[in-house]
Amino acid sequence: MTVVALGSSATAGSGASADDKSYPAVLQAELRRRLPGAEVRVVNKGVGGQSAYDMLLRMQPDVIDEKPAIVIWQTVINDAIRDIGEDKLGKILRKGVSKARAAGIEMILMDLPWLPREGRYPHYDDYRAVLAKTAQDQGISLFPRYAMMKGWSNSRQFTPEELVGMDGLHLVDAGYRCLALRLADGIVAGIGPVRIEAAGNSARQTN
Amino acid sequence: MSSHSSFRRFLLLGRPAADAVLAAPGRDARIDVIRGLSLLIIFINHMPGNVVSAYMPHNYGFSDAADIFVLLAGVSAALAYGGLIEQRGLAVAGLKLGARIWTLYIAHIAVFIIVCGVVATAVTRTQNPLYIEAINIQPFFRDTVEALIGALTLTYQPSYLDILPLYIVLLALFPAIYYAARLSPLLTLACSLAIWQAALAFELNLPNGNAGVWFFNPFAWQVVFTLGVVIGRAAQLGIRAPRLPWIDVMAVAFIAFAWAVKITSGNPTGIAALNDWFDSVQLGSDKTNLAWTRLLHIGALAWLAIRWLPAGTALAKAAPGRMLASAGQNSLHVFCAGIVLSIIGQILLAETSFDPGVQLLICAGGATILTGLGIFLSWYRSITKRGASAESAPARGAQPSRPSFSSR
Repeated sequence: MTVVALGSSATAGSGASADDKSYPAVLQAELRRRLPGAEVRVVNKGVGGQSAYDMLLRMQPDVIDEKPAIVIWQTVINDAIRDIGEDKLGKILRKGVSKARAAGIEMILMDLPWLPREGRYPHYDDYRAVLAKTAQDQGISLFPRYAMMKGWSNSRQFTPEELVGMDGLHLVDAGYRCLALRLADGIVAGIGPVRIEAAGNSARQTN
Repeated sequence: MSSHSSFRRFLLLGRPAADAVLAAPGRDARIDVIRGLSLLIIFINHMPGNVVSAYMPHNYGFSDAADIFVLLAGVSAALAYGGLIEQRGLAVAGLKLGARIWTLYIAHIAVFIIVCGVVATAVTRTQNPLYIEAINIQPFFRDTVEALIGALTLTYQPSYLDILPLYIVLLALFPAIYYAARLSPLLTLACSLAIWQAALAFELNLPNGNAGVWFFNPFAWQVVFTLGVVIGRAAQLGIRAPRLPWIDVMAVAFIAFAWAVKITSGNPTGIAALNDWFDSVQLGSDKTNLAWTRLLHIGALAWLAIRWLPAGTALAKAAPGRMLASAGQNSLHVFCAGIVLSIIGQILLAETSFDPGVQLLICAGGATILTGLGIFLSWYRSITKRGASAESAPARGAQPSRPSFSSR
């Protein structure tokens, strides 16, 4: 089973102490541990600073050509910062989702990160709403990263430093690890087994 | 009709007809004024999400200030270094060009370091991580050594720090493009287009960081630069654009078409086959690899500017034109200052929650500082030049300059 992690810097793993501490790397290790026998591969396609449109352009070469069962799309942060327009963003996301769907790839959208002071970006919640609405309308999963991070912050399990790193945004190792574990939960519990079976079947057929 | 045949002869053979009536070459204020204006537009656009940037040209046409900047880089390179090649030969021009490229490189590295410092200060003071995200500067904080080497080799470019590396590559290519344009501008443009299309087909671009590519693909953007070199070469030879009203009409029609497409949302034609095309120009444009629509748009604008904007110094007569021209004449300084100011501006905008008054203040303040810098540098050059020429005059007389001795 192949999973593609499409995204910007949180996917690329900025803030992590090493490459194998990024969330896609941890997710791969975790899925392999939980699904012995299945050949799980998580491909990291994170490029820092990219907008949803930049990633839409990468959908064919970086996602579809990898023939994954699942793509996790972490996006919208740069569109929210640049305030590109909610209608425009909705259109871009819908195009991305339908492209993946046409190729038979299950998509998981990732919610925006929780920020210590969101007031800086007055439209932040509006962009989160576009993301949520797209996921709902298209009937795909939205991974609740925002709620998770907010929960971590409220529960004081992590210091803000641990949670978002010295730069205040990027999950440091512990944060990436939690994110990956929760994603693995979702993949294994939800769509996981069905997909693996399907992937196994198609692999046998093509062989 | 002589301007037609002269123009045709120039396009094919790079030379005007022997009997052609040529315009006297002189400093063309259009270049400085338009360049000054595009520098200010670039500054505004580098603070995304601000209210003024919603009224900037990229919302109303396929091309934007970057295209104008690269085109004018080609025009002025042809006038400056092309002229030097004609007068002093390739060796001297090559040395000058090398010195200019070195200056650009140093400027790029300096801006890189300053921007990293600005962002690092902002992030540690405000605890807002998104400043790092917004200009893709994470690699510098994550693996400083690798990012530093990447910056020095131009293989790591944070957002907004991608125009100078393009300019460096294009200037390095200038002698080849110029000599080709001397032979045949038409053939040069054809080759340039072929290289662009081949690069698209083979997905050629230079690397940026671990996974990315250059934001301005040099294999694509050399087309705009080459067009500029051809225009500059024509100006150098004093060739006037022929009066061809049908091209004027087509250029205006295309610009109007671009405007109509950009201000609408969706596909008003109802032709399903065009849906993807409308989406591609409305949702984002292919700035990395250039697009035919961009190229045609900048071509149409250039044609109209050459045909209808008054040549000579007319544009710089009134005060606004003169101020813009000062900024345009000191484009490297103003550009670099604009990059740093726009990134400081991004931070100020977020810290004030994009308050509309502050947005206007930052845009107006930045534009004032940048034009002020241009005016100051022009003034500074004029007073230091006056002093230098006074000093160097006796020095030159004291030198035993061989040609003058032997000729006397």
